[in-house]
Amino acid sequence: MLSHRPFLVEGLTALGLVAAPFILPHLGFAPNTVDQILVWGLFGIGFDILYGYTGLLSFGQSAFYGTGGFVAAYLLTNNLMSSVMLALVIGTIGAAIAGIAVGIVALRRTGIYFAMITVAIAEMFFFLENNPLSAWTGGENGLPGVPTPRFTLGHFSYHVGTGVSMYAFMAVFYFIGIVLALRIVRSPVGAIFSAIRDNPQRARAVGHAVGFYKLTAFVIAAAYAGFAGGLLGVLQGFMPPDAFTFDTSGQLVMQTAIGGGGTLFGPLLGATVWLYLRDFLQTTFHLGAAWKLVLGLVFVLLVCFLRRGLIGGLRDLAGLVAARRQPAIADTGPATDAGAALASVGPSRRRQEQPFSGPVLEARGITKSFGGIIANRNIDFAVEQGELRGIIGPNGAGKSTFFKMLTCEMAPSSGRIIFHGRDITGMNVDAVCQLGLTKSYQVNQLFARLTLRENIVIAALAERRGRFSLDLLRRIDRVPGLDMQVESTLALVGLGGRADVPVARLAYGEKRRLEIALALAASPSLLLLDEPLAGMSPQERAETVQLLKNIRRGRTLVVVEHDMDAVFELAERITVLHEGALLAEGTPGEIQRNSLVQEAYLGGVAAA
Amino acid sequence: MTALLEVDKINSYYGDSHILFDISLYVERHEVVALLGRNGAGKSTTLKSLIGEVRPRSGRIVLDGTATLGLPPHAVAALGLQLVPEDRRIFGSLNVEENLLLAGLTAKSRWKLDRVWEIFPRLKERRRSRGTDLSGGEQQMLAIARALVRDPKIILLDEPFEGLAPIIVRDLLATCRMLAEAGQTIVVVEQNISAAMSLADRVYIINNGHMVEELTAAAVRDQPELLHRHLGV
Amino acid sequence: MITWPNFVSQLFNGLASGALLALISSGLTIIYGTLGVLNLAHGAMFMLGGYAGYVAYHATGSFTIAVIVGAAFLIVVGGLLELVVVRHFYSRPPEDQLLVTFGIGIVIVELVRLGFGSLSKTVLPPSWAMGVTPMGFLIYPTYRIVVTVIAAAALAVLYLVLYRTRLGMIVRAGIEDSGMVGMLGINVYRVFMVVFGIGAMAAGFAGIINAPVVSLTPDMGDSILVETFVVVVIGGVGSFPGAILGGLISGEILSLTSMIDPAYSEVMLFAVMTLVLMLRPQGLLGMPSRE
Repeated sequence: MLSHRPFLVEGLTALGLVAAPFILPHLGFAPNTVDQILVWGLFGIGFDILYGYTGLLSFGQSAFYGTGGFVAAYLLTNNLMSSVMLALVIGTIGAAIAGIAVGIVALRRTGIYFAMITVAIAEMFFFLENNPLSAWTGGENGLPGVPTPRFTLGHFSYHVGTGVSMYAFMAVFYFIGIVLALRIVRSPVGAIFSAIRDNPQRARAVGHAVGFYKLTAFVIAAAYAGFAGGLLGVLQGFMPPDAFTFDTSGQLVMQTAIGGGGTLFGPLLGATVWLYLRDFLQTTFHLGAAWKLVLGLVFVLLVCFLRRGLIGGLRDLAGLVAARRQPAIADTGPATDAGAALASVGPSRRRQEQPFSGPVLEARGITKSFGGIIANRNIDFAVEQGELRGIIGPNGAGKSTFFKMLTCEMAPSSGRIIFHGRDITGMNVDAVCQLGLTKSYQVNQLFARLTLRENIVIAALAERRGRFSLDLLRRIDRVPGLDMQVESTLALVGLGGRADVPVARLAYGEKRRLEIALALAASPSLLLLDEPLAGMSPQERAETVQLLKNIRRGRTLVVVEHDMDAVFELAERITVLHEGALLAEGTPGEIQRNSLVQEAYLGGVAAA
Repeated sequence: MTALLEVDKINSYYGDSHILFDISLYVERHEVVALLGRNGAGKSTTLKSLIGEVRPRSGRIVLDGTATLGLPPHAVAALGLQLVPEDRRIFGSLNVEENLLLAGLTAKSRWKLDRVWEIFPRLKERRRSRGTDLSGGEQQMLAIARALVRDPKIILLDEPFEGLAPIIVRDLLATCRMLAEAGQTIVVVEQNISAAMSLADRVYIINNGHMVEELTAAAVRDQPELLHRHLGV
Repeated sequence: MITWPNFVSQLFNGLASGALLALISSGLTIIYGTLGVLNLAHGAMFMLGGYAGYVAYHATGSFTIAVIVGAAFLIVVGGLLELVVVRHFYSRPPEDQLLVTFGIGIVIVELVRLGFGSLSKTVLPPSWAMGVTPMGFLIYPTYRIVVTVIAAAALAVLYLVLYRTRLGMIVRAGIEDSGMVGMLGINVYRVFMVVFGIGAMAAGFAGIINAPVVSLTPDMGDSILVETFVVVVIGGVGSFPGAILGGLISGEILSLTSMIDPAYSEVMLFAVMTLVLMLRPQGLLGMPSRE
């Protein structure tokens, strides 16, 4: 997303870091301020991966900043270690371990709960540092006397002092930090982070172990924070206890929001604005303590009117200019029979299904009750290999509950669900998807901030890499077979010409086809479609019916749909649910002649 | 003479999903109108568009001389339209009487509770029960009563008989018929077609978001196959 | 050394701080329950209440007037905040709501710092509440008793408003389904404004009556905000009874632990919260999963 040219961003960053000490002092930055900006920037890279990329807003990053800083400072000031570098690394590991422990607790919840829990746990760290652990941390006094690093190479030894050499030391680590982070966000894991930010349920439904990925992002953020905390001690020659305060976490959040989340450079820009304004307002305008008031107001205004921060604002502006220069690309429309011509995205090549002769999917006596109300009553259901099954029923027949149980989104109160001869009752949705069973949703569940192609990549990655894999440094285009799978899925649903359009700019019919494509890209051997025609115009309906005819080759499909004409046109067999129970099953012709079905749909009129 | 409610070519969406296409209809004073159609045809969305819970992107809605399109639900309700939603949406933490009091708070003219108790004696017995403790039938009675308390010009019933036992449907139907005879204007959406037909003076049929047919109740009684074509299987 | 009188007096301390925490947390929880917004400026409301009381107290010399003026001021501030800022965030993601209320909190803190400086201010308790009260085998500071009683009374009033008035009926209905409240002809936005005002007032009121016990500083709300989070997480976010139960539990944990070793009191509080989260994620009196 950042750039298609290799190493362009890295090169520009290096250039900027080299130029900064020559330029910034002329703008009124004190040398020490520039170093501080780098520490905050580095701290913020990890936080941006957590918040900007994965969508988890933590107000407790101070816990890891402090942990990393104090572990490193303790090792150095107590002469347990002479190498600053080694101490920094151990501090980072300590912060990461703390990140695992805290993450396991905090990630049990999302949204505001997650935010509150991170705040509370960070406060606990602060109190631990301040009192029970004060013998090691110096309590309110912090740890003075953190040495600066010394590098020895044979007979030559170099001591990093203040001034330029300190800046160089910080800049090198910022550079390493940003290069690593760029690798991470461009890796498959980075792509899945963005997917979790946009729609965690769907990320799970296409087969990713969302919980583990969230923990990964949390630990990455903790490690960055820990390293930055260590650098803070080295920079100041003193490890301050206020690294652990709520203020620290808050300042990080604000700097990131000011600069722009989801950009990696946002925190650096935010810290630059923040620290510059602090110095500038205090010295030039003699505002004294009011500088923070001005910053607070700026922050509130930014959140209100420029929700993507300064970088996001600039990007939008650039996008506007570019859009004005380029005429809008006309909608190419669906290539109705593209799928027919192309070798279809076959059901999984990776999964070796043992030869199996029974039904693909079987529900045995499943019942679901909510409180006292029974939504599904003792339903037996079986789908054969290669079949296209329709499920219909009047409102309140319990179709959606039934469907949710088939995909394990909801566990039945009793009964079993068997997929390829294997009992999947009570399994996680992501694990079931990995076995080859997934669904497309009645209401679009897309990754809204990604492009069409990126959406499909997310689903295909799950099929290629499994539920969880930590290939943090692998480039996403090096995932074997991924590209082919994405391209053939795109072609199959006739969206090849629109691949790089952000989802937000797609027409509804296109989004609807993407919804089906997401399920297809996971290469299911059994695909459940929940009202694939919902909300479509007559024209779009016709196109989608054609699409369904195309994709059914080599697959087993189950379709819930209100549009009777479509169901009767598509399905070979139809199952009718009524009042939570199985009413009838048979060929379209049999169903149309079934008087019980007519009665269920028409109430008393049919009999009249 | 203009109708009490006039709807002219409204188009409604959920997000960017186009649900209603140029839906037009009218409702006369003291009339009972039924909206029929298969699942997902757009009947509920039509009712939600009338009350303002879904805001149509184009078209016109005029209630008793006032254009209501674009007004928030509380303003539409103040003009005399009441929706009894499909899932009833009873306030579970409030008791029966509080549910009714709440509804009456901002009504211009409101029913005395005694009048409600007269129509729904069962609710009087359960006046102190919390909404969560009511049975499905009692909840439906309360949902209708909650709308009636505000003495609405039109009451919109969304699937009032869904999921209820036949005997309760019969009782509720009798109550609705009584209300209609007393001159209450009603728009009803119902899957139970025989129930709906026993109430309605006029029928609209909606299919895939389009208005496909307008029939008088008499015509349907004479030729039931008119419905069959759109609603059957 | 733990003695019996010491234990009882700590128990009372816990009750006092617990009642206060319950009052502040109930404000946070009512706002969240009705509007779905977690107000990170709630700590600032607590602080602002203290300063409003301080100003009124020094202008009039009357503690009672200070309490009334402070509470009234906070209801206005809260209502205005809802109207001008928070209202525009209902349809935005919860993260944006957190950011904007956090920012508002900072602006309020810095405004107070600008007006009153960073040095601490003191408010004296009313003369009739000074000194100590003998209570059998121990003597106890009179004003602590007064704070406990006032906070309990305020909670009782809040309870009556919520459960015995028309406004309360609307608020409770709004917590369940604000859309349906709208369809019954009630302008929910006006209700939201009032609720935000009442929530802010609960915090501000606690800030005033607490002012004679502590000294006022502009950033005194920060640590209170965090403790409030713990209270609502323990009690169940959005639950009024949960806020009271959580407040009392938290108050007792703080003061009983500090009897053994003050260094661990806050740590123990967060440990208990973590335990609750592991065993009952929705909190003691919370409804399962409203996220």
